Amino acid sequence: MLRAAGLILVKDTRLRVRDRSVWLFAFVVPIGMTFLFSSIFPDTGAIELRAGVVDLDGGEVAAGFVEGVVPALADADVLTEVGFDSEEDARARVTEGEVDAAWVLPAGFSEDVLAGGDARIEVLVAAGRTLPGELARGVADAYARRIEQAGLAVTVQGVLTGGPPDPQLIGAIAAAAADTEELVRVTTDLADRGQPLDAVSYLAAGMAAFFVFFAVQFGVTGLLEERQFGTMSRLLAAPIAPGAIHLGKLLGAFLLGVTSMAVLAVASQQLLGADWGPAPGVAILIVAIVLAAIGVMSLVALFAHTAEQASNFQAVVAVVLGLTGGVFVPVPGDIAALRIITAVSPHGWFLRGLNELSASGQWTTVLPAAGAILLFGAVTAVPAVVVQRRRSSW
Amino acid sequence: MGAVLRCSGLRKAFGDIQAVDDVGFEIAPGETYGLLGPNGAGKTTSISMIAGLLHPDAGEIEVLGTRMTPRALDAKAAVGLVPQDLAIYPDLTARENLHFFGRLQHMSRHDVRARSDEILEVIGLRERSDDRAGEFSGGMKRRLNIGIGLLHQPRLLILDEPTVGVDPQSRNAILESVEALAVEGLAVLYTTHYMEEAERLCRRIAIVDQGRIVAEGTRRELIDTISEQDIVRLKVAGDVHAAAVACDALPSVSSADAEDDEVVCLLDQAASSLPALLAAVSSVDASVVGVEVREPDLEDVFLYLTGRALRD
Ligand SMILES: Nc1ncnc2c1ncn2[C@@H]1O[C@H](COP(=O)(O)OP(=O)(O)O)[C@@H](O)[C@H]1O
Ligand SMILES: [Mg+2]
Repeated sequence: MLRAAGLILVKDTRLRVRDRSVWLFAFVVPIGMTFLFSSIFPDTGAIELRAGVVDLDGGEVAAGFVEGVVPALADADVLTEVGFDSEEDARARVTEGEVDAAWVLPAGFSEDVLAGGDARIEVLVAAGRTLPGELARGVADAYARRIEQAGLAVTVQGVLTGGPPDPQLIGAIAAAAADTEELVRVTTDLADRGQPLDAVSYLAAGMAAFFVFFAVQFGVTGLLEERQFGTMSRLLAAPIAPGAIHLGKLLGAFLLGVTSMAVLAVASQQLLGADWGPAPGVAILIVAIVLAAIGVMSLVALFAHTAEQASNFQAVVAVVLGLTGGVFVPVPGDIAALRIITAVSPHGWFLRGLNELSASGQWTTVLPAAGAILLFGAVTAVPAVVVQRRRSSW
Repeated sequence: MGAVLRCSGLRKAFGDIQAVDDVGFEIAPGETYGLLGPNGAGKTTSISMIAGLLHPDAGEIEVLGTRMTPRALDAKAAVGLVPQDLAIYPDLTARENLHFFGRLQHMSRHDVRARSDEILEVIGLRERSDDRAGEFSGGMKRRLNIGIGLLHQPRLLILDEPTVGVDPQSRNAILESVEALAVEGLAVLYTTHYMEEAERLCRRIAIVDQGRIVAEGTRRELIDTISEQDIVRLKVAGDVHAAAVACDALPSVSSADAEDDEVVCLLDQAASSLPALLAAVSSVDASVVGVEVREPDLEDVFLYLTGRALRD
């Protein structure tokens, strides 16, 4: 069975090598499209935080944040600072989404800290601005933790000596609060970690996912092609297990699909500086979407009588799934209806998986997306197999 | 030595069409057996079932004593199929086509190479062996198509209308090689709608029409079913169909059919019946403009048995 499937695979590969259209679909066009689009669309990859501070406290500890941390973040290009007239102004502009976030330092902030209490910075975040919002919260948390540690020292000293807080120690707290170097480092780390796929990688991955549906169709419509060549009868008459013919075709589709996507991942990295994320996660997603493509295209092929007709049907399906999956234009994640639409496209899940992979740096984060993609493959492959079995003439 | 192929009671329907209806025969080693019938008679469908491509609705098929099924690999390995429609990859060279199908037949690389050279010689494509099959002429493609079926030295060669659309020279070459193969002891199942090919190649012939074998036997036996009778072809000016009906009504005429502008009559004694035939034609306001009298052939047998011409 495997031997015969292998022979068919090698033969098909030879035919494919001579038939240039497959190179076009599997390699040339997707790379070209990525080049083209990447020059049209601006890079929207890095997280930009537009935010400002409302200082209702005015104390020494608050000053550390307002005069130390915020300008340092702006210098590090993590933050575009915005000035607010008042707390109401900040709330209004955050609600409108004009700015991503606002830090509100409440009245009595410095006093609370110096008395050993909690350092509470309120963070206002605009709806849908998840990643910048997280960054703003991260900054507030990191700052609060630092001064709480310093504040604890003051309290301990107060308990030990029984006297009022040592003015020198208060100065130390303010200094610690104003020492922004580490905070900026923590924040930029956070910004990097929270960064999804950059625009070029998104484009390249989207194109690869889009065109892999065309690449696998050469394998999937292979049976129709054998019928057109008249060679199907010879294959069926040969002393090989009947399943070997299907297996050979599917293996061919799988290998071509995986190769095409791997080449695109590497090419977009080498030529365009793209980065799809950690290799194991990318590999899992690629295998998943190639299998899904084979399933979807096998099902579509059932409705066709000739290889050409099948290609036409398949093109329509590939374009619809690609569009809804956001391979051409990223689908905004903060509109619920669009989120649902991308959820019914394997392309959408593929890009979502890569985004999460990039954001976390952990290959395991692709598993839910890979599972969703494989579900597409299974849901389409099962009817395809059942119908194919019923149709086979023996 | 028993039969290479034995089949009986084969039936296959496609929806309302009974494509094959109770077909059965045997082929001995070295025998060339013919299925002669017009397009749509059920020849290809019968062959598809025999080669294990198509599941029969009913009937038995045995190749070398093994029941034929899609998984009967031994039985399949014993069969060389040359499909009616070309079955070659246009983007592979002649040699690559042979190589691929030879390997599918479980031949070793070495055997495939050696046999391919022999076959390329036999089918006259040695010079063109590294050219793509798509660039070949119709006749060359046909020869390659046959060569692939012969490559693995099958015990039973099935040729489905191998000369359709072939120039006369290639056609003759094909017929000669089939004759040579039979001499080597190969059993051949040969389908055609050309009477001359069946007469020339086949020891026994089954005449098939609308899925049924309407007569079977050697050429002599088949012709004898209507024999001691003569064929008279009357070229008629006027209403041919009316003339045929008038001729058919004569007691000495066993059958009369209109064919183009001719009435083809089968009758006992041509010489004594001619005046009556001419009178019959005149009686329907037609006239005889030419007469041909000859011994019947297989086409006449077909016409006699089915009332229709073999070639339409
Ligand atoms: N796959 C099929 N589906 C439906 N009808 C078919 C199919 N194959 C053959 N037929 C019909 O069966 C009959 C016999 O066809 P076939 O065996 O190809 O005849 P032949 O080879 O003698 O010309 C024809 O009427 C043909 O239309
Ligand atoms: Mg036929």
